[in-house]
Amino acid sequence: MSDRGLIAPTEWRRPGVRRLTRGLQGALLAALFAAGLGPLLWLAKAAVTPTQDTLRDPLALWPHGIDFANLVTAWTRVEVGKYFLNTVWVALGAWLVQLLVATTTGYALAVLKPRYHKVVTAIVMATLFVPSVVLLVPLYLSMVDTPLLHTSLINTFWAVWLPAGANAFNVILVQRFFANLPREVFEAARVDGAGPVRIFVSVVLPMSKPILGVVSVFAVIASWKDFLWPMLVLPDPAVQPLSVRLPALQTFVELDVFLAALAIATVIPVALFLVFQRLVLRGDALSGAVKG
Amino acid sequence: MTTAAPPRLADPPAPARERACRPRRTPLRWARRGGLAPVLFLLPALFVFGLFAWLPIGKSALMSFQRTNLVTAPEFVGLDNYRTVLTDPMFWTAVGNTGLFALLALLIGYPVPLALAVLMSEVRKGRGLFSALAYLPVVIPPVVAVLLWKVFYDAGPDGLFNKILGLVGIGPVPWLQSASTAMGSLVIEATWAAAGSTVIIYLAALTSVPPELYEAAELDGAGIRGKVWHVTLPHLRGVLLTTFILQIIGTTQVFLEPFLFTGGGPAHATTTILLLIYNYAFADSLGGDYGAATALSVLLAGTLAVFSAVFLRLTRSWSSS
Amino acid sequence: MSSKTFATVLAAALGLTVLAACGTDSGDTAVDGKTVVKVSLEPGQDKSAVDAFTARVTQFEQANPGIDLAVQEFKWDPTKFTAQLAGGTLPDVLTVPFTDGRGLIERHQIADISADVAQLPYAGKFNPEVAKTGQDAQGKQEAIPIAAYTQALHYNRTLFKQAGLDPDKPPSTWDEVRAAAKQIAERTGAAGYAQMTKDNTGGWILVTQDYAFGGRTEKLDGDKATATVDTPQLRQVLQNLRAMRWDDNSMGANFLYDWNGINQDFAAGRIGMYVSGGGNYKDLLAQNAIKPADYGVTAVPLTGPDAGALGGGTLAVVNVKASKKTQAAAVKWIDFYYLRKLTDQAAAQADAKTNADAKQAVGSPELPVFDKATYDERLRWIGQYVNVPLSQMTPYTSRMFGRPLLPEPTRATQKVYGVLDTVVQKVLTDRDADVNALLADAQAQVQALLDRP
Repeated sequence: MSDRGLIAPTEWRRPGVRRLTRGLQGALLAALFAAGLGPLLWLAKAAVTPTQDTLRDPLALWPHGIDFANLVTAWTRVEVGKYFLNTVWVALGAWLVQLLVATTTGYALAVLKPRYHKVVTAIVMATLFVPSVVLLVPLYLSMVDTPLLHTSLINTFWAVWLPAGANAFNVILVQRFFANLPREVFEAARVDGAGPVRIFVSVVLPMSKPILGVVSVFAVIASWKDFLWPMLVLPDPAVQPLSVRLPALQTFVELDVFLAALAIATVIPVALFLVFQRLVLRGDALSGAVKG
Repeated sequence: MTTAAPPRLADPPAPARERACRPRRTPLRWARRGGLAPVLFLLPALFVFGLFAWLPIGKSALMSFQRTNLVTAPEFVGLDNYRTVLTDPMFWTAVGNTGLFALLALLIGYPVPLALAVLMSEVRKGRGLFSALAYLPVVIPPVVAVLLWKVFYDAGPDGLFNKILGLVGIGPVPWLQSASTAMGSLVIEATWAAAGSTVIIYLAALTSVPPELYEAAELDGAGIRGKVWHVTLPHLRGVLLTTFILQIIGTTQVFLEPFLFTGGGPAHATTTILLLIYNYAFADSLGGDYGAATALSVLLAGTLAVFSAVFLRLTRSWSSS
Repeated sequence: MSSKTFATVLAAALGLTVLAACGTDSGDTAVDGKTVVKVSLEPGQDKSAVDAFTARVTQFEQANPGIDLAVQEFKWDPTKFTAQLAGGTLPDVLTVPFTDGRGLIERHQIADISADVAQLPYAGKFNPEVAKTGQDAQGKQEAIPIAAYTQALHYNRTLFKQAGLDPDKPPSTWDEVRAAAKQIAERTGAAGYAQMTKDNTGGWILVTQDYAFGGRTEKLDGDKATATVDTPQLRQVLQNLRAMRWDDNSMGANFLYDWNGINQDFAAGRIGMYVSGGGNYKDLLAQNAIKPADYGVTAVPLTGPDAGALGGGTLAVVNVKASKKTQAAAVKWIDFYYLRKLTDQAAAQADAKTNADAKQAVGSPELPVFDKATYDERLRWIGQYVNVPLSQMTPYTSRMFGRPLLPEPTRATQKVYGVLDTVVQKVLTDRDADVNALLADAQAQVQALLDRP
């Protein structure tokens, strides 16, 4: 990163420019606080506020005291913990499947490069141009009676995990990265007697941590954002992730407890974001660069 | 030497030995030479892309010409499903609504992140704080965000947004409860939820602008505005084009917001194409109309594919310069 | 349970266990030779409601050692039914609204259990009007009615008091409803009167009101059905709603309610009055934790000749893919869980006690599935367990018998409701909505639906 940007040091010294920029940035910071943090703070407040207070005066700070029981009720009676665990399972499996498919495919196409690699690449990449909506109904029916497996995957996590693997974008990312790895290292390993599997496991994968991190972040984020697909294939509440369960809970649960459930559902991703902030932001930035 | 063939053996220029072998290729020899390894490594891809991408794509095309109730064998009905879809009065409503959503999302959601990113790129200290704040809404699970905003959008005078607007003497706004404001409300939430991600992408592109370009522009006498026009934006155009097309593809498939906020109401004002597809397949009484649902998805996918292809062709030269 | 099943469509959580997902016919017999029957439990119940259900399951298994019950969360959703049937994810015993029973029987999508039903001791005592909803064209009882209801006007007694209204004298005409709504809105800030509009419930309530004003939405003549949507009665209903919404501003600020949503807001004290099934109190208590003191219910006001109360109910049906043995066991469970509590003193008391112990509502008003004598007898049996505020329900219970009971429209019911959803949403969200044009348009759409083969 350079020590200067759009505004030149000479311009920066002009009081007009400086004041305007500072002012705009101050306003921006205030706006970002309001829009980025505001809703979260309100949710945190509402999670421990009785329903009637939230309804009558959503801006007041606890006119009738704090009600921590909401959180307890959300955790015990509404079983937010159980659904959160389902969310974790769904994300974990989807992540593993995506990583497996992306790395093996990337390796085969970029490193092993069989004669037919162009055909395979085309087959994989062409799916990028097919919007997922086309898959919705037939894929759902495939889950009801899965070809080859001849069983219903409905209400099993596999129904979410397996289709998640068919992600051409991941394959591109990994394939491009693998293609840029230094060839000499592979040659050296081969001379040392390493087969394709050994090279994949002990040479390529260790060298690819950055891209694996990016794919992982995408996989986990995509999985916890997904709603329509898990809603269709996981109709049993016992296996539903939070994103699917929360809209249904809204109608069964009192508003204060519901907001407490929303708050719990938010705390963990936000905490994870704060911990892995750099990785997440870099990953998102990279995705833009790659897509562009 | 192991059985593994060097990866580049297959590529020209191939060593003479390889070329000489070619006419006498046998499966055994092919396998020993390492032909098997790529096949094994491609198995997962063939499994998932075959079963969960290409098979459904083919099935979709097929089903759009069939009537099926999942119990008896499907029956071919020619173009009936397409006729059903195109003559459904809801079709043009949904197309119009989806277009409106995409347009509003473009008007609000496209310039806002760009402006934010340009401003933020000039922040010297604490840019991390800016980025983190802008990104926070992206971190909130979308379903949580929509359900929370549904509370904010309470149309009564005691609703959160109306209370805040009331402080400055505006409102109460009906938000989701009126055909004229519902779609705007959906777009505002969607923009709020997605802007952070776009900001970060732009920000990365902005910081990659070589300072020399700015210096050169300054030597030519360009002011700040001039530099934005002649250096920053041209440098961003590859990214801008990408986000543009991704946004169009994304917004034409909007589902979560209308589904959870309004269920397509009031009076179909927010029924989008995807919601209509969902309704055909999963929400009509007794037995989904899978034929109509797939026909409509094929129409949408075709339109998007043509749009992307034309757009990419038209802008290829411009974006790669 | 009765009216709940009408809040079909969309977000409903259809509980299906992992066990059920494993195959179609494999779950028939357990390893120990017992017949396994997958029975359904309404999702989203309070823990004590689930406990009450589980207790009944245990009692049944003790009484029938050869049968093993597997509990599966299930809520009827017509939109997913076909896929669930094909995918083998349905329970063996499921409950469906009257409206959908006919179609299921005609399409042979449920098991014909009429032979088993005929063996039941009370087979001849069903209320004939109610029994008809579960019979095929030849009068074979393929589905068993287990509950019936008529629509009622539910109101919040606390809001009535706060608004200076007498909670013991609820409105008995639509003009009084309008006046009371206005008073509640003005004095308490809550919605005086609210109405469902979403996911076909809008049509359901609108038809209720149409009936209450003496209208009908379809006219059947042999095979031919004529839409009668564009009528003075329905126009009057809509004008009345329009006036409450736009002239009085007494309908609050939410006009996108579904069944769950309106219950939720009513239980939270945000709604003065609304129309829904008469037995709704049970659900308000189990799902929305309503304060009993708040609750009041009265009959839907009827005006004009031919006016009547829309009624409906629930049928218990058996999965067509279940084996004969499972079907017989399933009928046993239907008899044990759903019906014997209506016909047998010991069972009625055991059921009432179990529910009362689990703090579930006992004694909510419902329409008799059997003849009135059986109904009255049962009320005497369970008298000591009744825990609902019966006195607060007398405005309804004192009037629910002897009113004309009108069934829901029979042709393409849910789709017709869908068309009417749009009409009522339009009237409530658009001040300039043209009622006449809306009705003319709806009339054409409904006729097109009725004409479809």
